[in-house]
Amino acid sequence: MSLELEKVSILKLGANIFDPVNLVIKPGEITTVMGPSGCGKSTLLSAVSGSLDRVFTLKGSIRLYGQDILTLPMEERNIGLLFQDDLLFPHMDIGSNLAFAIKEKISRAQRNKMIDEALKTAGLEGFEKRDPSSLSGGQKARVSLLRSLLAEPAALLLDEPFSKLDQTLKAKIRPFVFSQIRRMNIPALLVTHDPMDCPEGGMILNLNKEEG
Amino acid sequence: MKSFFLILIGLAFLFLSGFSQAFAQEWGEIEEKAKGQTVYFNAWGGSQTINEYIQWAANAVQKKYNVHVIHVKATDISDVVSRILVEKAAGKNTNGSVDLMWINGENFKAMKENKLLYGPFSQKLPHYHLVDIENKKTLLYDFTTAVDNMESPWGMAQLVFSYNSNRVTNHPKTMLELLAFAKQNPGRFTYPSIPGFHGTTFIKQALFELIHDPGVLNNPVILSEFEKNTRPLWEYLDALHPFLWRKAKAFPTSASQMVSLLNDNEIFISFSFNPNSASNAIENGELPDTIRTYIHTGGTIGNAHFVGIPFNSSARVGAMVFANFLLSPEAQAKKADPRIWGDTTVLDTQKLAGKDKALFDAVPKGVATLTPKELGQGLPEPHVSWVQALEKKWLEKYSK
Amino acid sequence: MSGQAKNSLFPVVVIGLFCITILAGLIGTLLPSLNYLPVIGHTSFSLSVWFDFFSYPGIQTAIRVTLFTGLSASFGAVSLAFLFITFSYGNRLWKFFEKILSPVLSIPHAAFAIGFGFLIAPSGWLIRMVSPWMTGFTVPPDWLLLNDPFGISLTIALVIKEFPFLIMVTMGALGQLDIKKTLLAGRALGYKKEQIWLKLLIPRLYPHLRLSIFAVIAYSFSVVDMAIILGPSSPPPLAVLILKWFNDPVMSFKMLASAGSLFLFFMVMVSILCVYLIEKSAGVLRPWTANGKRRSFLAPIKPIIFFMGSTTFFFTAVSSVILVIWSLTWQWRFPDFLPSAGTLKFWEKGLESSFDPVMTTLLTGIVSAFIGLVLTIGCLEHNVTAKQRRTRNYTNYIPYFLYLPLLVPQISFMAGIQLLLVIMRMDGYWITLMVSHLLFVLPYMFIALSATYLAFDSRVFDQAMLLKRSYIMVLFRVKLPMLLKPILFSFAIGFSVSVAQYIPTMLVGAGRFSTITTEVVSIASGSDRRVIAVYALIQQFLPMMMYSLAIIFPKIYYYNRKGMQV
Repeated sequence: MSLELEKVSILKLGANIFDPVNLVIKPGEITTVMGPSGCGKSTLLSAVSGSLDRVFTLKGSIRLYGQDILTLPMEERNIGLLFQDDLLFPHMDIGSNLAFAIKEKISRAQRNKMIDEALKTAGLEGFEKRDPSSLSGGQKARVSLLRSLLAEPAALLLDEPFSKLDQTLKAKIRPFVFSQIRRMNIPALLVTHDPMDCPEGGMILNLNKEEG
Repeated sequence: MKSFFLILIGLAFLFLSGFSQAFAQEWGEIEEKAKGQTVYFNAWGGSQTINEYIQWAANAVQKKYNVHVIHVKATDISDVVSRILVEKAAGKNTNGSVDLMWINGENFKAMKENKLLYGPFSQKLPHYHLVDIENKKTLLYDFTTAVDNMESPWGMAQLVFSYNSNRVTNHPKTMLELLAFAKQNPGRFTYPSIPGFHGTTFIKQALFELIHDPGVLNNPVILSEFEKNTRPLWEYLDALHPFLWRKAKAFPTSASQMVSLLNDNEIFISFSFNPNSASNAIENGELPDTIRTYIHTGGTIGNAHFVGIPFNSSARVGAMVFANFLLSPEAQAKKADPRIWGDTTVLDTQKLAGKDKALFDAVPKGVATLTPKELGQGLPEPHVSWVQALEKKWLEKYSK
Repeated sequence: MSGQAKNSLFPVVVIGLFCITILAGLIGTLLPSLNYLPVIGHTSFSLSVWFDFFSYPGIQTAIRVTLFTGLSASFGAVSLAFLFITFSYGNRLWKFFEKILSPVLSIPHAAFAIGFGFLIAPSGWLIRMVSPWMTGFTVPPDWLLLNDPFGISLTIALVIKEFPFLIMVTMGALGQLDIKKTLLAGRALGYKKEQIWLKLLIPRLYPHLRLSIFAVIAYSFSVVDMAIILGPSSPPPLAVLILKWFNDPVMSFKMLASAGSLFLFFMVMVSILCVYLIEKSAGVLRPWTANGKRRSFLAPIKPIIFFMGSTTFFFTAVSSVILVIWSLTWQWRFPDFLPSAGTLKFWEKGLESSFDPVMTTLLTGIVSAFIGLVLTIGCLEHNVTAKQRRTRNYTNYIPYFLYLPLLVPQISFMAGIQLLLVIMRMDGYWITLMVSHLLFVLPYMFIALSATYLAFDSRVFDQAMLLKRSYIMVLFRVKLPMLLKPILFSFAIGFSVSVAQYIPTMLVGAGRFSTITTEVVSIASGSDRRVIAVYALIQQFLPMMMYSLAIIFPKIYYYNRKGMQV
């Protein structure tokens, strides 16, 4: 009963691009949406996040903890988003990148403590003053996740988050990401075309193109 | 002063009569040498009517003398003076970029003093003997600088006021009446900012009318007496400024802008330096046909404008041929026509006869033009040294 | 690979060209300001000129007005541009601006100032619209709307004219940033669009705009044509005063003009230094960017910014419309809303007599823009290869030289160059005229092209190199065609900069070459607004034609290539 998609279908030029989707993702659960490229999985994700392009029409309803979020603009949905690109802000150091995500009412001391702890969990202690471009791909991916989570989202969406990492890195990052999501106890929706990305025991949804 | 003037005229006559034989021969050679030359004539290009007149004259000398004249349109002739100065600085004593230029007043003085002019030459021009140097003193003293044949006369100018007869029934006839007009019609008169030829001329005119002894203006300014002599002028301007256009917080940047202001009814009284310019502007639609002109009862400042040949011109003879053509009755009569340009001739029409006289008789009088009698003899320019002193004081007082 | 190796020639040539001319220009300005001008008999060095300069009547006011208009116009234009982007990026207004930007940019400053002046003057169009039926005015009111002593009307006009320039440069630079993704990332963290622009995008956009902003500052301080028409008159801004001194028949004023130019240059440099220091100290804002504030304090001014942005375009458009009306006028009196009598006479005469100048303008503009393009691409290619191979990168030094001509007041700088050319007997030739245009054409082309050019995906180039193995082939068959649109656009900018050059054309061309702009400026020194309008419109048409070609040609050339239609 946390992130619910009910009869969600997306239309382009009046035609459904996939069969209507029904999904319920509980806190701490990670549901994976699979499908070949071009099947609309990223479109589904943007429908949830609120960044759906105007050429699409959305039908059905999406609720987060019972609240209908479709009418809300993206920034008010309180949903985190993780991309295949790390999208760290290149003009800020790592500490500022993370501080950027922390809610404004939290005191400065508390913020610094949160950043410290977050970096510690990722094995990046003392990285506050580092320039994002000096980090390795794996480090960037971890900071990027930390940043999304420091915003205390009510749900997290992951858009092929591992596709740019090599196999060994993927193997290291995946468990880190999944464990963080479980620790935060929020529902997560993962989009990928790599079956290896699915967390153990998670639900898998295959998107199909509607016949005819 | 006066005797010197007479001696000069006498010399000119001697020269003209005594050597006329050799003279014709020499001129024939000049015309021959000029054939095929290209003359770069640098002249202010801000008026379409004047540009068209120059184009007409250029075409005529091309046909008659095979001299190719190109009008280089200057925004301000002092740009051109600067260029010649640079050429002199760089030792470019031949092949200068300018062959003939439209010039007078301060620019002439600057060029003469810095030896930037070729000459004397105007006495060699066959049409020069038609010039009215006997009566038109300003043709020998350009803003009180002796001309010395270093430039050839082209046209006459005199300060005339123009007013919109729809708005002004009784135009002022003196500076004091102008002040009264301004008080009755606040914001409807102004003059161009200083430094600048037209603005300064207005100040000089006011000084002429207000100064206790106008005689001192003929002599170089004596700075120790400047304050005392010019006090009536500054008192006048202090009284006038609150009633000027924009309360004298802004001034038009040029005489040209005054024409637009008059057309837009922003101001009711303007002034120009060509007695025919209002008629010309009415003729081509630039001003309404209700514009009329007048001068002040004591007369107004008059002067002349000339063409000069820079020291490093490579087409001197071509330039002289063109300058001579500009002095011809044909060219002068056409120039005087308000439908063409309306610039007063420098010739003595009494000296003309037959066909040449007929040309001038055929020139119509413009609707807003005063008769020569009404215009009278223009007042002489004050000694050139007054300009800088007046401008400096004006800037100190009003440009803060 | 030889072509690739030799391209270091380009930046070296450019730096050489600029070094010599700037040095000549500065020396030619410096010496007279130290009382050294032998041609009028001043041969002993002294500081007397500087004393004269600082004691000139009204000089403090002139400096103050220059400082006020220069700083407030730059600040106004830059902040309006940033705020406008913040609020309207990607929306309909933005897309509309993208379409009409080129014609707006192609309007020459003087033409705009004339139109703008006629719009807002007490006898102008706005008042005529409501007179006499509403206002009761049968004659124009005596209001100080233009030429106000503080320079407010000049400042407003400068903002209106510089805002589209900054928007154009920004549009070029936006391609370098991953705007869409940054917006997504920011919004996913709960930030409002405006806050994302302020905290994330503008700090990253700024380095790309830095030089353009400097150019805007320099221009606002040293503008002459707009200042004559709209600025205060007694005393005028410093740049106008300098021009008056240069043109004063009394020769010694030229030394005063040189001192004034150096002082103006100094003011520009100090202002730029201040902006640079502000930029360097922007680090103090870090706590603000990272404080987590997501609400936008700017939201209430959104409609104001939309209004102001649209107003700038409205004014530009209307001032052009006014020129068109004037060009067809025979008589137009106050308070008539439209002329009472029209004529085509001025067009007939204008078109006939402007034919030769237009040809000279076209030739000079096209050749200088073409050479400018070759040099710009050469320098940028050198930059790319030097970066790739980590060899010495001369292009890095270019900005220091390239932008100097834009920062020095044109009149004094060009006067020094003129002297040098006359000494070398090289004045009055078309080729030197063209090169003098290049001095001003090249910087703008560099500004316009470098961002997009350097953002070119090097993987495409590498891929092509693997297939073709010839640097020249790949450059001309793959890279340049892919960059056709920005290349043509910068060509059009270069062309329009060349068209607008007045002082270089007069000084270097020795009056031997009249372009449409020398015609416009000389006719504008007269009073006939109908003729002025005709010439101004012809002048405006040339760059507009080039911009249109730059937009239309790639569309036709790549009509069946969807990937090139962006």
